Amino acid sequence: MSEKNFNVIGKGKPRYDGRVKVTGAAKYCGDLKFPNMLYGKMLGSPYAHAKILSIDTSEAMKIPGVKAVITAKDVPSLKYGISPARWDENCLCIEKALFVGDKVAAVACVDEETCYKALKAIKVEYEVLKPVLDYMHADEDDMPQIHEKYAKNINTEIHQEFGDIKKAFAEAHYVRTDTFVGQRCYQCPIEPHSAVCIWQDNKLTVYSSTQSVHYFQHYIAREFELPMGDVRVIAPFVGGGFGGKLEPTGLEFNGAALSRITGRPVKMFYDRQEMFQHNRGRHQGTYKITSGVDKDGKILGCHVDFQTDGGAYTSLGIATAYYAGALLPLTYEIPVYKFDNRRMYTNLPACGAHRGHGAPQPKYAFESHMDNIAKAMGIDPLDIRLRNARRPNTETVNNFKVNSCGMKECLERAGELSDWRKKKKEGLPKGRGIGISTGSFVTGAGYPIYRTDLPHASCMIRVHEDGTSATLYSGTVDIGQGSHTILCQMAAEAMGYRYENMKMVASDTETCPLDFGAYASRQTLMSGSAVKQAGEEIYRQIIDMASTMLNLPPEDLKCELGVISSISRPKVAPITFEEVARRFFVLRGPLIAKGVYTPPRLGGTFKGAPVGTSPAYSFCVQAAEVQIDEETGKIDVERVWDVHDVGQVINPVNLHGQVHGALYMGLGETIWEQVHFDSNGKIVNGNLGGYMIMTALDMPPITSEVLEDSYEIAGPWGAKEVGEGATNPTIGAFRNAIFDAMGVSVNSVPLTYEKVWRALKEKRESENK
Amino acid sequence: MSNMIIDKDGVRRYVVSITVNGDEYTKMVKSNTLLVNFLRDALDLTGTKKGCELGDCGSCTVLLDGKTPINSCLMLAVEADGREFITVEGVASHEKLDHIQEKFIEHGALQCGYCTPGMILSAKALLTRNPKPTEHEVREAIAGNLCRCTGYINIIKAIMDASGQEIPM
Amino acid sequence: MYLPDFEYYAPDSIAEACKLLSQFGPRAKVLAGGTDLIAKMKNEVLKPEILISIKKLDQMKKIEYVPGKGVVIGARSTHNDLVNSKVLNEKYLSISEAAHQMAANQVRNAGTVGGNISNAVPSADLPPIFIALNAAVKVTGVKGERSLALEDVFAGPGKTNLTQDEIITEVIIPDQKMTGSNYIKFGLRGAGALAVVGVAVAVQVENNVIKDARVALGAVAATPVRAKKTEEFLKGKKVSDEVLAEAGVIASGECKPISDVRASAEYRTDMVRVFTKRALRAAIDKGHV
Repeated sequence: MSEKNFNVIGKGKPRYDGRVKVTGAAKYCGDLKFPNMLYGKMLGSPYAHAKILSIDTSEAMKIPGVKAVITAKDVPSLKYGISPARWDENCLCIEKALFVGDKVAAVACVDEETCYKALKAIKVEYEVLKPVLDYMHADEDDMPQIHEKYAKNINTEIHQEFGDIKKAFAEAHYVRTDTFVGQRCYQCPIEPHSAVCIWQDNKLTVYSSTQSVHYFQHYIAREFELPMGDVRVIAPFVGGGFGGKLEPTGLEFNGAALSRITGRPVKMFYDRQEMFQHNRGRHQGTYKITSGVDKDGKILGCHVDFQTDGGAYTSLGIATAYYAGALLPLTYEIPVYKFDNRRMYTNLPACGAHRGHGAPQPKYAFESHMDNIAKAMGIDPLDIRLRNARRPNTETVNNFKVNSCGMKECLERAGELSDWRKKKKEGLPKGRGIGISTGSFVTGAGYPIYRTDLPHASCMIRVHEDGTSATLYSGTVDIGQGSHTILCQMAAEAMGYRYENMKMVASDTETCPLDFGAYASRQTLMSGSAVKQAGEEIYRQIIDMASTMLNLPPEDLKCELGVISSISRPKVAPITFEEVARRFFVLRGPLIAKGVYTPPRLGGTFKGAPVGTSPAYSFCVQAAEVQIDEETGKIDVERVWDVHDVGQVINPVNLHGQVHGALYMGLGETIWEQVHFDSNGKIVNGNLGGYMIMTALDMPPITSEVLEDSYEIAGPWGAKEVGEGATNPTIGAFRNAIFDAMGVSVNSVPLTYEKVWRALKEKRESENK
Repeated sequence: MSNMIIDKDGVRRYVVSITVNGDEYTKMVKSNTLLVNFLRDALDLTGTKKGCELGDCGSCTVLLDGKTPINSCLMLAVEADGREFITVEGVASHEKLDHIQEKFIEHGALQCGYCTPGMILSAKALLTRNPKPTEHEVREAIAGNLCRCTGYINIIKAIMDASGQEIPM
Repeated sequence: MYLPDFEYYAPDSIAEACKLLSQFGPRAKVLAGGTDLIAKMKNEVLKPEILISIKKLDQMKKIEYVPGKGVVIGARSTHNDLVNSKVLNEKYLSISEAAHQMAANQVRNAGTVGGNISNAVPSADLPPIFIALNAAVKVTGVKGERSLALEDVFAGPGKTNLTQDEIITEVIIPDQKMTGSNYIKFGLRGAGALAVVGVAVAVQVENNVIKDARVALGAVAATPVRAKKTEEFLKGKKVSDEVLAEAGVIASGECKPISDVRASAEYRTDMVRVFTKRALRAAIDKGHV
């Protein structure tokens, strides 16, 4: 177990960016202005599937203040995508538009208002094609093919089998199949995407609301055939991402093209409806699960068979498709596993990486399925989970190495907190029910998004000449999750310094060393490991310098919170970090250090083996108690309990905030959120009145706890992820609570009041027969 | 109308005087200039955010007459003529943060920070009108401010704490 | 988003406003709180070329009791003016409560009573309770004033029976014998959600007998509608759970809802049953109008 005498980490230090955010001083991308800046917007297709016959931009060009109107011929035709296995998207559509809102043309104008006028004046002649709107029927013979290269509209097909599933089922005491259906959700960050592109002197600078400056730099440089060194990407303050801001959009590519043409900075932006159209949110899917269990409910084998709706482009969807099945064997020990999935192309907005990447909906299906098995066999839902819970230092059937794992402890603690046993024994009042569910998530992806041997994270620390501050230079991005805060805490801890004196320069490819950015819950462990290494290097240099100053051996010195003292001679007057750092600079020059992190080689060798690998996995359990209004189906949430195994906590305030936020998004998906389309594939609720994210009046009370003594060997000081895992169990916990309360299963999400009402009505009708 | 001119293109432009955070600004606007754009573009007060532009998210909340939260994305600058507003930039005084701002930081009541200006103004209006709100009144007062990061829990705690009351949940 | 160009006028008097409305015809719209109109203009659902702001017409902001007439609510009163009105809190708390449910705080601070009526949105929250309380509206046009029953204002979604030059200036709640009233909004989230069903009732109960009842339904037809068969059924009945349940069943037969992304017609119909029953119970038990 770890030594827990920390000075900086493990403490609820105030947010690094708190002050600028509460005063409104923080500048987000859409707040930036540059001299001579133009405003740009893209024209979206009004049709879900249409051939572009002609585009006439002449009227638009006549409008005063319109500086450029571009179409596909003005931009590179190289296909892009964030996932290199399927580059299938163009800056502007060349022949066909593939969803309502697909990028057809773009304008740059002197102000925002003129952009809208210019867009209206562009005349596009379309030949409207039949759209593919239903992913479950996208492969049928009478369906048009969306992408030339992909027959039957199959974007990705996965077939994995670990062990002999037929044999496992044959030997099982009980085999059961259930099917559950998911919905399309959208990340819906409150800050709309925007990008300011400045192409000057053959160098391109892009300010963007991005989660990863590195991937943006890589893909923008690739698209325009520029050396990486001539592309600078900077993320200013980012107003939330949740996966939706991980890949470059038409804003960056077309903004760059417009800036090159006009010679002026161009600010591109989406409005809310356009954000919904750009999407990259949760895939919807149909999830069929068959499990065989022994007489105690122990899982002998599982076959999961999924089909998902990817939308018009791949985005990160290949990874999503793999994640959907890859992460299921984590929380439970599944000895034999078969995973089939088909990700379909449709003429709907592209889906991608949405908090909990690919995992929450399959997890809902699996956890519901577990409760169905438990009920059929007369086993308590908590017990069936305890019997199957993963143990530490094990390996999953699909070759994920699990080090720390408090699955069992999380289950037990959630049971205690929620008074599970008593409630089960004594029963709950009418209409009241309690459900439980598990989750797990990667702490950073084991492999980068595109193939490269670059380290995943790196950083530098420079101590100020007089030692009164130190600056951490890191390519990480704080999208709100608080990574700047915890990385500065980690740096200070490693340096023997104070958090309050830390500064950070981040999210800029020109001034900061490479970091892959904010996705897959990676920055705490991966960026943190690099920061720890750099901090420890500073520590060594400080101790070394102090050793000569005090004439004591380095092993006899320690530096804590900026004070260097002798371990064996308490009477020796301590000296300060500042004094030593200043002396260092005078004698040896800048006090700097670097850190770098590359994960170990992880995972198996089968096709798709890298997706889901990670140096470490978080584990969590949620229990939810609900009260159902029998007449209306309304769900009142009494309380949710979350118990998490996150390893060593770096900042408890941030940590519980992440749990609250992830649970909030998970609960939104559970009951309220769904993107709806009309029969032509147009979004009907692409606004914050129609797409119902929860308000403060809807958020239930939450009890959030962590396992106190968890330690993850692969993480800095034993830390692992929290930000995404907590979205994982939520839907299942609520479905199971409703199941417990009313004895009805709602087999599709969202679990709307109307669906609960309908299930109850059907139950009454069948009982009356 | 006396405060209107028609420019050479025939566009009507109006002179408006709007007081923001105690300072009066006299500017020309068009009829369709929204207050949110006036604040952000003409005054560079970008703490007032644009999130949904339809009055659903509250990111653009400002305090009308120093006390009444409204969505500045739904108010015309010409309608705001002669009125006084407080934006988030006017909450802290002389480098000293408002108590509510301090409590937001202390409780981790902000993450990405994009909803924070509107949230703080709604909280400020609530505590000015009702210094000891119940937890439900706090939730009600910020129900027009959508936050996608925090799940509101720490925001509610921060506002309750700022009111000097017991912290719920 | 972009707000298209329009001409803007802010007249000093109601007469002048009516004159402008008459002069410009259907190209013009009245601008009050803007919470509905500006949003619809951004979405290009409405495309007025001229906006007539009534911001200077302060006489339309009063809420007062006029003996012999009733409670007079100026049409420019915001929803929060209704929430906070002493007169309403004392005499018609149900109206304050309905106004409070209409939307989140920022919208309630801007959106007006006149706007909530004249937009003729089927799910609007104020019309049902006004109708249940037998309210009338005073409208002013170039030819002068007239008043009409609130339920007669609506012609269809987004359509009223007002002429182009007319402005709603007042809502009048007449003195009445009703002993209780209540409005229930059933929306899908705590704030910022349109009503899936809105049910308003007013009852006159004496010695546990329902002497008179008015039931108005929102969001379940092209306009807010009275459930007249339900009202007839209730008159003279002794209060009981069975009677209220039966009233709910009758009311559910009096609505013609549509299906949309928020709810199916079938669900809305059944929710009319449930919430009519519950609204009646609350109106009887709460003992305030």
